[in-house]
Amino acid sequence: MNRAAFKTVYWKEVLENLRDKRTMLSSVLMGAVLGPLFLVGFMNIVVKMQQDKAERQLELPIINISKAQNLEKFFKAQGVKIVSINKTPEQSIKDKDYDVILEIDDDFASHIKNAKPAGIKIYYDDSAKGAAKVTVNRTRSLISAYEKQIGDLRLQLRGILPGLTNVIFIENHDLSTKTSRGAMFVSFLPYILIISLFVGSMYLAIDTTAGEKERKSMEPLFLNPVSRSHILMGKLAATSSFGLLTLVLTLMTFKATLPWYPFEKLGMSFELDLLSMLMIFVILAPLALLAGSIQTIIAAFAKSFREAQTYVSVLMFVPAIPTMFLTFMPVKEKLWMMIIPILNQNLIINQMIRGEKVVFSDLVLTVLSTLFLGLILAWVAIQLYNREKMLFSE
Amino acid sequence: MILVNNISKSFGNVQAVKDVSLEAPDGQITALLGANGAGKTTSMRMIYALIEPATGTVAIDGIDSVSDPIAARARMGILPDARGLYTRLTARENIQYFGRLQGMNDEIIDQRMKEMIERLGMEKFIDRKTEGFSQGQRVKVALARCLIHDPQNILLDEPTNGLDVMSTRGVREFLRDEKAKGKCVLFSSHVMQEVSAVCDDIVVIDAGEICARGSETELLAVTGRDNLEDAFVHLVTGGQS
Repeated sequence: MNRAAFKTVYWKEVLENLRDKRTMLSSVLMGAVLGPLFLVGFMNIVVKMQQDKAERQLELPIINISKAQNLEKFFKAQGVKIVSINKTPEQSIKDKDYDVILEIDDDFASHIKNAKPAGIKIYYDDSAKGAAKVTVNRTRSLISAYEKQIGDLRLQLRGILPGLTNVIFIENHDLSTKTSRGAMFVSFLPYILIISLFVGSMYLAIDTTAGEKERKSMEPLFLNPVSRSHILMGKLAATSSFGLLTLVLTLMTFKATLPWYPFEKLGMSFELDLLSMLMIFVILAPLALLAGSIQTIIAAFAKSFREAQTYVSVLMFVPAIPTMFLTFMPVKEKLWMMIIPILNQNLIINQMIRGEKVVFSDLVLTVLSTLFLGLILAWVAIQLYNREKMLFSE
Repeated sequence: MILVNNISKSFGNVQAVKDVSLEAPDGQITALLGANGAGKTTSMRMIYALIEPATGTVAIDGIDSVSDPIAARARMGILPDARGLYTRLTARENIQYFGRLQGMNDEIIDQRMKEMIERLGMEKFIDRKTEGFSQGQRVKVALARCLIHDPQNILLDEPTNGLDVMSTRGVREFLRDEKAKGKCVLFSSHVMQEVSAVCDDIVVIDAGEICARGSETELLAVTGRDNLEDAFVHLVTGGQS
């Protein structure tokens, strides 16, 4: 190993990239700042919307309310504002005018009188997101309360103890800890950290390979009495360093924005001490080599800088896959998952967010497996640049 | 001293270079003269050990460039056809980078840098970033960075391509000085006046093969022409004109 050449190439690439202010600003700084800012903004908006829906006076469109005057009185007593609509309930839900609409059956009153089940239709959209569900649930529980009130009254009139029909008394014991309750929101954190690594190293991966070919400085560079492998190692090291730099800055931005997270309102607590930050860094650091190498490999196949940029950008979707998978299908961590890079980092960081203890062997496995795959990819990248075909852009 | 023996190279079905042999002795300027696409660049690339010849051998000062390309390259200063500079670095930093890759320490680089700045007239732009340099300035920097280690063998691929008169003269003068110091200079060109002006020995290449070699006087005598251009045309058309 020609250390002097490795160091020379490394520092030249670092210096050259630092001088490119526009790139530094758009990749390193933006990569580090945008993600955490987006996350904190997103969480605040979601929490605020849910809170609004839960505390605000319920505005409830009820069709045929004249057929259920008793129910109307009950709703009004509960502080519900009953409104009318001039569209069909289907259209109104579709247009997102209201989250939920009730329709009273025509024979509602007579059925109540004759102690037969009286019908109410509930219109809502089950695929609607978070805050709408709050409204639906509030409406449902209001109707249940009314139903129970009438039901108890009927039993009492017949001289039966209302408690008789309560066969089972359910006592809820919610065992989600304070920390795990809001964890779903923070499941985006690993993704944001991982993507910062990819964003930080992307420019250099392209610039030192496809860019150097395009600017016709690759051939003179390779004419120095240094093996191509050593030159490429220097380039890869510089590429990965900027990934790491962006990761560190992202972690710091995240730490700095922590006070603005609505953890209190989510009923969760989350703290990021120096040790946890260090641990996250150690888990993610080997990913820098993997990201840099895979981007370099992809850039090797591009004929120009622009082409390489297109290909490498598409790669950004890959780290999103485990995050989405875990968001929609929460799984129990198994040992084999810890050897799959990106999935394992997601799992461990999620464990940390939920306040669970991270198993040491999982940690070691994560670091080693990621490093191993990174080294293989680095080797592939180096082999590619030893091929004569790769030397010329024409 | 460069010794090339029967090198060939094909790309796919195209035979770019076929059995090329030549000798470039020390203290002499040798030209590889040929039209565009005649195989000059491919031959040069094999000689300076960037690509491997399919057949034959190349020896630089006795070092086989196929089996030990790194040692062979250390004996050469090469100005290839591609001469891109790093535009975010200054001219000095560009040259320093290559000096370090040649294994030189900074002190020796500085000494040699002073000499190159003076000989190539780079005082005015040596500490400027190379973004927006003129063609002439770029070639000077490229030349300085490939010769920073004072190599015994100097290989140049179309060195004066795109240069104005003054820059061309500067490069020629530089090469004559190197020759006087006993260096081996081999350059490829398609410009007759240039070859005529600086070369001691001319190797004519056409369609990947060597078709003549000798001094200018010898080539004129063989072809019976009175200028190199006519002699060249006569050689590459096989006496048809």
